[in-house]
Amino acid sequence: MEILSLNLFIAALRLATPIALVALGETYSERAGVINVGVEGMALAGALTTAVVAYFTGSPTLALIAAIGVGAFLGALHAVWSVYLRADHVVSGAAINLLALGFALFLTRVIWGWRGASPSAPTMDAWILVGVGLFLIGISQIYIFRTPWGLRLRVVGEHPRAADTAGINVHRTRLAYTVLNGALCGLAGAFLFNNLGRFTEGMVGGRGFIGIAAMVVGNYRPLPALLAAYLFGFVDALQMRLQDYIPSQFSLMLPYILTVIVLAGFLGRAKVPKALGKPYIKEQG
Amino acid sequence: MSAEAIRMEGIVKRFPGVVANAGIDFSLDWGEVHGLLGENGAGKTVLMCILYGLYQPDAGKIFIRGQETRVRSPHVAIGLGIGMVHQHFMLVPRLTVLENMAVGWEPKVGPLLDRRAMRRRIRALVEDYGLEVDPDARVEELSVGEQQRVEILKALYRGAEVLILDEPTAVLVEQEVEALFSTVRALKEQGKAVVFITHKLHEALEICDRITVLRKGKNVGTLEAKGATETQLAELMVGREVVFTVTPEPLESEGRVLLSVEDLSARDDRGVPAVRGVSLQVHDHEILGIAGVQGNGQKELLEAICGLRRPTKGRVRVGERELTGESPSRLATQGLVHIPEDRHLRGLILTFSVEENAILGQRRQPRFAVGPWAQKKRAIRAYAGELVQRFSVSVPSLTAPVRTLSGGNQQRLILARELSRAPQVIVAVQPTRGLDVGGMEFVWEQFLQARRNGAGILLVSMDLDEAMMLSDRIAVMYQGEIVAVLRRGEATKRELGLLMLRGTGEVG
Repeated sequence: MEILSLNLFIAALRLATPIALVALGETYSERAGVINVGVEGMALAGALTTAVVAYFTGSPTLALIAAIGVGAFLGALHAVWSVYLRADHVVSGAAINLLALGFALFLTRVIWGWRGASPSAPTMDAWILVGVGLFLIGISQIYIFRTPWGLRLRVVGEHPRAADTAGINVHRTRLAYTVLNGALCGLAGAFLFNNLGRFTEGMVGGRGFIGIAAMVVGNYRPLPALLAAYLFGFVDALQMRLQDYIPSQFSLMLPYILTVIVLAGFLGRAKVPKALGKPYIKEQG
Repeated sequence: MSAEAIRMEGIVKRFPGVVANAGIDFSLDWGEVHGLLGENGAGKTVLMCILYGLYQPDAGKIFIRGQETRVRSPHVAIGLGIGMVHQHFMLVPRLTVLENMAVGWEPKVGPLLDRRAMRRRIRALVEDYGLEVDPDARVEELSVGEQQRVEILKALYRGAEVLILDEPTAVLVEQEVEALFSTVRALKEQGKAVVFITHKLHEALEICDRITVLRKGKNVGTLEAKGATETQLAELMVGREVVFTVTPEPLESEGRVLLSVEDLSARDDRGVPAVRGVSLQVHDHEILGIAGVQGNGQKELLEAICGLRRPTKGRVRVGERELTGESPSRLATQGLVHIPEDRHLRGLILTFSVEENAILGQRRQPRFAVGPWAQKKRAIRAYAGELVQRFSVSVPSLTAPVRTLSGGNQQRLILARELSRAPQVIVAVQPTRGLDVGGMEFVWEQFLQARRNGAGILLVSMDLDEAMMLSDRIAVMYQGEIVAVLRRGEATKRELGLLMLRGTGEVG
């Protein structure tokens, strides 16, 4: 069949990249014990930052660095709220989603007036970012399971008290990996902008949440999460081609329906870190 | 013996409302196994947690290898060569033995964890101490005994010279205990110092060189294990002085059986049989005491009677009615009320107000509620007010959260609530735990009043004085069975102590 061409598989890889980056980031923070549902907002902030910086400076590289920085900043914000101030992780993450969306609405109107989308700005080749993503995922697979730091990360999310007695600073570890999660979301946002060449408010379109789903399906491991992300990317690419045959309203639903089905099957089986979402309080006295 | 490894002087540790350590002196030599003996709550674990840096003492000095030292955290303690194996293991079940041992002190090749070097070191330790374990097994696949071995190996890998074992035999089966003892002996031969926390006398005598007995946060004696007898240790552990007494007047029972338990068995939380075929009867105008060292199945027995734990076998009858495995609320309507051991967990809802707590379990009675939808606020308030006055509970106000009440007043409120239901049977576990003398006396008086009114009371107490003073009969529980039932006046304290600790009354 014509639909299943090589192009489809290549397009799927592109569409999978932001999902895979978010899944990687979330893998890090949840392994450390921090739930971050703010990934959607962090990716949106990354995309917006890329657009704004590229528009004003004309430098896609500078825009990329800025996007990662903004993502990391939002990650730090989430860590301060949830780790140090012991706020509920989901509430803090939702707040970041609202914050990012509000900021996006505000900035696009201030800078460009309302046109539904930003004017186009200089981009870099999105394939570079695909390559960066694949490299980071491969490295992370080794980092988490083969290095001493990865071991410490896993212990912090499973048994923070044991980590503490082993001299590991639980709070600082959680902060670091939540910042890393934010940075990777910023990178995902930068990819989305460079892929499209302009910014729209709906451009993340649930890919952050789908990234979390991919992490669950991948059972908190970077490479399997990449495969899951590729599956989502593939269905996304497929639905674009199916629009020639069935109404787009239906084909657009496909990735989301797949998410629901896959999550229903995998959620119960995933090995969720034991201390996920629980604040660590040192022994009193 | 040889030189001193650890010396602790005048250690004081207070927690809100309790003094856990009231000026304890303790010393430990190299090449010695030193037993820390005492009842639960005597302060053994707290003292060792201070040595391990988990708690900071309020007063006192710690000398390690003769140097005065402040142990600010477990990490510091480990650096000083102190290791501790807790009752709840500090292991990550999903990780392998190797990973659990390595974390924090990982050997590296380049940026990677050097698993080969780690395996080599584990093998060396295994050979030195005879602690067989597979480094690549996941901890969750191991038995409890094997997990404990991993904990000991972990401490040794981290360079422990002083090893604290907190009730290590509590979780083990018989054969594993033997293996643990040979490990402890191997450690001793290597010149290490071991602290062995326990409340089992025969274990302490078997494995230890010296034994320190703690009671109520004080060191009541350190003696050589050689030459010490169980009787001697039991007397030290349980103590002799009685703080305060009430005298129950002699009452004639009418011979009605109010609570009857037949051949009841139950498992503990780990699924191990904890109650083995217990039968007992509580009559009218009677207090039946259950004595025993903690952990001999009393808790599980009471929970099985009160509908909080499903019995695996046997029957529970209240009056004429069989109520085995019924819910606590149904039991309460049939005349059996429960004064729980943990008043915060099962007795009260701390964030709820005094009046709400006063009607817990009765909230749907027509006198307090209109159907399931509405509360009769005024009736509840009037009732709570009456309880508070009748039982002289001192409260800031009826709407204050129960959290703001002192422990004694919380217990008074529970007694007020439960005893006002005019129960036939009262099941009480450690009802005076943590209370001051006045609070204790109040609780005792209430029980005697209920007895006067014809109720039957089943009283579990770890305090032998209390059990002996109040009970018309005392049943002794040992390893899940009732080994003896003695009438008032038949039992001497010494005899009861031996029954509790060894299951037989013969002096040995």
